[in-house]
Amino acid sequence: MGTKNSIIYSIFVIVLIYTLSGCSNTDRLNREQPFERNDFIMGTIVSQRIYGKNAEKAAVKVVERLKEIEESMTVNAPGGEINKLNENSGKSKVILSSDSYHVLKTGVKYSVLTDGAFDVTIGPLVKLWGIYSEHPRIPAQAEIERVKELVDYRDIIFNEANRGVMLKKAGQMADLGGIAKGFGGDEAIRIYRDWGIKSAYVNLGGNIVALGNKPDGSKWRVGIQDPRGLQGAYIAIIPVADKTVVTSGDYERYFEEGGVRYHHILDPRSGYPARTKLISSTIIADKSIDADALSTSVFVMGLDKGMEFVEGIKGVEALFVDENRKIYVTDGLRKKVVFKGDESGYEYIEKR
Amino acid sequence: MNQGMNILKKGDIFLVIIVIAAALTALAFYNWSRDKHKEGSSAIVKQGDVIVHRINLNEIKEPYTFEIEGDYRLVVEVSNGSIRVLEADCPDRLCVKSGWLRYKGDIAVCLPNKTMIKLEGVNDSVDGISY
Amino acid sequence: MTPLMEFRIKGLKRLVLLSILLAQALVLSIIESWIPVPVPVPGVKLGLANIIILITIIFLGFKDAVFVVVLRTVLTSIYAGGPVLFMFSAAGGLLSTTVMAVLYNRASRIFGLIGISIAGALFHNAGQLLVAMIVMEDTAVFYFMPVLAVSAVIMGSFTGLIVSYLSQKLERISIIRKD
Repeated sequence: MGTKNSIIYSIFVIVLIYTLSGCSNTDRLNREQPFERNDFIMGTIVSQRIYGKNAEKAAVKVVERLKEIEESMTVNAPGGEINKLNENSGKSKVILSSDSYHVLKTGVKYSVLTDGAFDVTIGPLVKLWGIYSEHPRIPAQAEIERVKELVDYRDIIFNEANRGVMLKKAGQMADLGGIAKGFGGDEAIRIYRDWGIKSAYVNLGGNIVALGNKPDGSKWRVGIQDPRGLQGAYIAIIPVADKTVVTSGDYERYFEEGGVRYHHILDPRSGYPARTKLISSTIIADKSIDADALSTSVFVMGLDKGMEFVEGIKGVEALFVDENRKIYVTDGLRKKVVFKGDESGYEYIEKR
Repeated sequence: MNQGMNILKKGDIFLVIIVIAAALTALAFYNWSRDKHKEGSSAIVKQGDVIVHRINLNEIKEPYTFEIEGDYRLVVEVSNGSIRVLEADCPDRLCVKSGWLRYKGDIAVCLPNKTMIKLEGVNDSVDGISY
Repeated sequence: MTPLMEFRIKGLKRLVLLSILLAQALVLSIIESWIPVPVPVPGVKLGLANIIILITIIFLGFKDAVFVVVLRTVLTSIYAGGPVLFMFSAAGGLLSTTVMAVLYNRASRIFGLIGISIAGALFHNAGQLLVAMIVMEDTAVFYFMPVLAVSAVIMGSFTGLIVSYLSQKLERISIIRKD
């Protein structure tokens, strides 16, 4: 009889715990509203969503920090250290702040890792194509050949002792456009943490960085832009916590001429927009600066090389979309990613 | 030997009670969670560990059928909000007997063909878009 | 408390007995495949062959029971099913036989033949679902477990009852008694 009673008793206790925890959960759900803020920084919209105390203060700090990063790293506006570095190319050394030095170093690290598929000295090519100008154009072959010579990450000379940096040849230009937003995302998360925030989300022009889970314990749901759909339409959802999701695509910035799409992701080796049959590549990683560099890198590498490259890096996952609207993901992402149905027009390739 | 005593022992009764109680609890829990997500479902068709089709059943306008080849051949019928195995040439045809699948959690399985159809609720909401 | 454990038979007699039991298991499997199952859940079945497996455990022991299970599974999958079904029923059959043998040899003070038979049916189903789960890399198949558990209780009780009476009658037949 004793056993029987204890069983009934345990069941009762379990049910009680369930009911009580259910109540407190819904209570918290209803109570907690995020602080939201949108700003235009680094040439894009930065949306923050922060839960918990100090949310507003942290958001202000993040905006200040991002503006600071923008000022020192921009090449699209006058002033700043990177402009100074580029202006003194072939002439003299420039002492960089630890921010710029770190980001530039990271840029070189990925240039080395990708064997030049990503190149932090792509500046002259970007300028030649006029990608961020009002009137982008297709340069002549000779121009491209000439300017391509200036693109070489091995020409950056670093002096660790005093953070002195110099570009070897005159006309060379470092361009942190491929990773500065990623760095900004990491800095935002660092600031949230400093303010004791447990749950936050920031979207820097498509680079998403998530801190913790949402307050209800669920993961942040990140949609992946449909590369050929309306802005905001997505082809898959990736649930994340404490991760960053960065996508590169040929749809972000491009012009068409003679039926050919000239997009903003240049292949440093050819001097032309990367033509690898990929139309979008997404990286999920711990650090946004890594994800930012890698999403561009794998887009330039193409599906096969890019997939192999990413599978070789621990803690990094990827999603690729090719021009036939086929979606490929790394093994680690297979179980996590949620796809739209067959009707979305995209075909999910489970195994290759 | 006391035959009557030997047939049903204490442990037997206990086992029956516990198993039935656990099964009923699981069924009750399943029914409760299934009603919560009644509308909106997407069908996932798996063969082995590979997802061969992913169909948003809410977006089906014209019903259609497709085939799944394997050790056996299955014909799957899709219509708005529901899906079923219409025909199968496997031995027990349990997948056909499963009938229409409509709600989140409904599944039909054809073990001989390693095929499974399961319905998942569609959660279309996102916190943001990566572009 | 466990008088049945004394009935262990050796030699030619054992071989003949084993063959008869295997033949009976096969026939019961085939008869069972003719009977339609009312619920569309893979794994729900009468489990008549379980009668023979449990009898084998009682009179010949665990190893011989495994022998009967494996041969029965191979032969029935030739008759109907194929390699995939073989994998499923072999997993279920071996798990269920092991559980029944352990309970019969170690816990027959607590569990009678009905309980042992129910446990066997339960683990037969669980084993099949486990293989299904591995093959499809999907835990959704365990959705069938409650229905399978209830059917295991009903069918396990039924076959257990049959084994109870059958084993008592068999004890009295000289053919099966230890020399």
